[in-house]
Formats: sequence, structure tokens, C-alpha cells
Amino acid sequence: MSMKLLFFYLPYFSLGIFFLGILYRFWRWAKTPVPLRIVVPPAPRSRLGVFWRLVGDILFFPNLFKGDKLLWAGGFSLHVFLWLVILRHLRYFLYPVPGWVAAIQTLGLYAGYLIPLPLIFLLARRLVIDRVLYISILGDYFALVLLLAVAGSGVLMKVFFRTYIVDVKALVLGLVHFQPFIPDAHWLFSLHFLLVMALLIYFPLGKLMHSGGLILSPTRNQRANFARRFVNPWDFPVSYNALNLSSPEKYAQALAASDDGEKS
Amino acid sequence: MRVPVPIPGIKIGASRGQRCHPAKEKDMLKIDLPKERLPDWKEAMLKKMAEVLDKYRSVRLFLDICVKCGACADKCQFFLGTGDPKNMPVARADLLRKVYKRYFTLGGKIWGRANEAEELNETVLQEWYTYFYQCSECRRCSVFCPYGIDTAEITMAAREIMAAAGVATKYVTEVVAKVYDAGNNLGIWPPAWKDNCAFLEEDLKDTEGLDIKFPVDTVGAEVLLVPPSADNFVNTNTMIGYAKMFHAAGISWTTSTYCNEGGNFGLFLNYANLKKVNNRILEAARQLKVRKIYWGE
Repeated sequence: MSMKLLFFYLPYFSLGIFFLGILYRFWRWAKTPVPLRIVVPPAPRSRLGVFWRLVGDILFFPNLFKGDKLLWAGGFSLHVFLWLVILRHLRYFLYPVPGWVAAIQTLGLYAGYLIPLPLIFLLARRLVIDRVLYISILGDYFALVLLLAVAGSGVLMKVFFRTYIVDVKALVLGLVHFQPFIPDAHWLFSLHFLLVMALLIYFPLGKLMHSGGLILSPTRNQRANFARRFVNPWDFPVSYNALNLSSPEKYAQALAASDDGEKS
Repeated sequence: MRVPVPIPGIKIGASRGQRCHPAKEKDMLKIDLPKERLPDWKEAMLKKMAEVLDKYRSVRLFLDICVKCGACADKCQFFLGTGDPKNMPVARADLLRKVYKRYFTLGGKIWGRANEAEELNETVLQEWYTYFYQCSECRRCSVFCPYGIDTAEITMAAREIMAAAGVATKYVTEVVAKVYDAGNNLGIWPPAWKDNCAFLEEDLKDTEGLDIKFPVDTVGAEVLLVPPSADNFVNTNTMIGYAKMFHAAGISWTTSTYCNEGGNFGLFLNYANLKKVNNRILEAARQLKVRKIYWGE
């Protein structure tokens, strides 16, 4: 029963949290208005320019490159390795396995071996640089350690405690087709699976949502079309109080008075 | 040539004592703020914070998505100058973030300690007052943040929240109040402005023999010039420069005694005053029936 809980009910629960959580977070941000144009220069003038700027931001982290080369190297390699590993795992989900997924297997494998390196670097950085140590909170370490545990258990499984891959595929395809298949798996595989489920649940709750938030970040996704009127949806009229010695009415009176003075 | 600025080691509390003078009652009343800190300041601040979070996507998003990578940490002039860790943009935003987490996020409400959530109390308010007024809203950090997190937005939100509870600084509130009285930050009254302009005309005639006008409140001029008020008072060579340029170009121009200030201190206070100060430029332009506004600071 406990194995059915882990391998059948938990995946649906975590995937539910993952997708619904992400949708909720996006909805919450998207429904909050953007009252002012706060785009950070150098900024594109067209929507297409914004699109390419965001694509560049998502793929290459140019701002980070400007600011901190070493951190960029760590962050960039981590994300590239992560994508390769995730794409490599598609072979468990798809039947038949598409050609391109088969083609990147070796690349993904090496990415998997290497992924602990940037994670350890980022973790060490948090502990060694006094500035970063000061700002780090539990959530920052948790995300890194969780990823490290997922990667570590994955690598161990690949190298030392080989899993029976046919069972894994049966498990995942069973999930896809709502037909439970409980593999007789090594405890390391169960751990790896459990950690990934935890990651899916944690993803929308914590700081890992930075991945999606970037797209809605007003400093990055606005255009620098300053000649166009920008309307604040919750704008309100200006009001003068009795203590203000200067007001539009008083200025109009003063202009009229000096006008009369010039004529006489 | 690039001169690298040495990155200081963190010195906790190094600029704790560098605090602005508090606002005065007479100024606060002129700019539609509570005359002093409200007795129920905490409730007022949390109410305003809920409003700000629903009005500015920037604030909510920036508080949510920061990963604390530290790329901004050594980019802030205030941190480079003082070494106080709370002057790192990320740590400055954390002052607001921890209160946001405590009152507006599920994680912070359930498990505050792990999420570094914190109650809004006197200590937190004092930290806000100290460190949110040690940010010049220059936005340099946003250039280096991979998500474009702009700490100026966070600073502006925090100041807006504090202002709603009657907490602000003397410098900022005094200047904004002056704009609503005299039309500019320096408090140059309309007669003085006109007199200064007449003086510059005479001066130009005496020293350079040039007959160039400094028009004030001329209805129907083509251009309304909105200079920094100091140009009429201290940096008069700049003011003379404007007049010469317009004269040489043959453009009719005018300054306005209603709005002779290009700088907007409302930016350092709250949205209502930011808008009200800016609105004076448009109002002056409408009443003077100009076709263009030249506006610099």
C-alpha cells in the first residue's frame, strides 16, 4: 500500500501542486496592474524586441554576465545541465522514443554527471562570500541541497546501483495511462523518485518560481516607446488642499491680473 | 579607464546611525499626510502594504522571485561606501520582504522562522526608516539583476507605506510642500523669480552687451522651459545659456512662476505627490497655451 502511495497517488498530487501552483502564481502576478513605465535601458522599442530580449534573458542571463562572471558560469552551467537532464528523462515518458531524445542521451548523461559541480559551487559560494552568506536563508540552501540530492541519487543509480529500466518505463507509462504499476525497485530509486516529487511540490511555493516570474517582470518586458501615452489603470485626480498657497486657480488669477496690468 | 572600486567586507550596522531628520507637522499637512506618526501606525502600514501589493505588479513580483544570488550586492554605491550589509539591494528589499512574508504569504504565516518572516514592530520600522532612506533610487542594481529586480520600486513602496502612517523625512516633505507654495524646490516666490530674470537680463546687457529677454509667464509662447530652480538662483550661467540658445534659434519661450522646477521630490515620497508635482508642469503648459515643454533636471 505504501508503495502504491509513493508510486501512484503521490505523483498525481505533486504534479497537481506543480501545475496548479504555477498557474496560481502567474495569475496572481498577471492580474496585478503595472502603473508606470519602469523599463530598464537599453530597452527595445517593439514587441518583437521585447520577445527577443526575454528569450536572451531566459537562455543566457546577460545581466548576470555583466555583474559577476563566476556566478554566471555557475548559474548558466547549472541551468544548461538541468535542461539536458530533464530532456534526457523524456525517454521514460514517451513511447516510442523520438529520435532527438535518443540522440541527446549521451550528452544528457554527461550533464547528469557534471550537475553536482555547479550546485556545490553555488552552495560553497553561499558559505564563503560574506555578503552572500548574510543574505542566504533556509530556502536558498534547501533548493540547492534538494537538487543536489536528486542529482546525487540519480548519478549513484546510474553508476553503482543500476535500476531495471524496463520497470521504470512501465511505472511512468502506467502513470500516463492511469494504470498503476508498482516496480520492485531498489530503495535508491524510490528515494530519487520521492525527491523529485518533493521538488515538484516545492517548485511553485518557493523561489524556484524565478523561472516564470522573469517573463512578467515589468523592467524586462516593457517597451521603451516613450512617445506613446502610458495609462495607469488605477490613476486618480490631483487634489489641492487649503494649505497650498499655489494652485491652478490662483495661477489663472495671477496670469489674468498681470494681463490686465500690461493692457492698462 | 575603469577604476575598480574595492568591495568592502560587511560591517554589520555600519550606517545604522545615519538617519534623516523626521518630517515636520507643517510640511506633512501641506502634502496630505498624517501630521505625525499615527497611534495605529502598524495597522495603517499593513493596510497600505496590501494596497501597494495589489497596485504594483513590480513590488509583488520582485518580492516573490528574488533568488538571493547576490549579483546586486556589490553594485550599490551605499553598500560600497558604508559596508553595511543592509545597504546591499537584496538585503534592503529583504527588510520589506520579511514583513510581506509574515502577513501576505502562506509559507510565512505557517512557518515564519524558516521563511525569515518577521512581525512589523518598532525595530523593523526603525530599520525601514534608516535604510530605505539610504537608497537614492538610482536603479543600478536592476541593471545587474538577471530578473531585472528594481530595488527603487521596493524603496518607493516602503516609503509610500511609511508615509501613509505619517513617517517621512524632513528634507523630502519640506521640499514637496515648498513646491505647492512657491512652485519650486528652493522656495523661490513668483516675485523673486521675476526679479531674478530681470536681473539676468540687465547683467547680460552690462557684461556682454547682449539684448536677450528672459520671459516669465508669457501666454502663447511656443516653448515652456521647466529648468531646475537652482538655475535661476545659483547656476545662473546655465539659465543664461538657455536664453542665448532660444534667442539664437529664434524660438519664443517662457518660464512659469507656477512650475519652475524640473526635479520631482514626490518620487522620494509617494505616488500622490509624485503625480501632483508632475501635474504642475502640464497645468502651467495648459494655462500658458504653449506648444512644447522643454524640461530638464
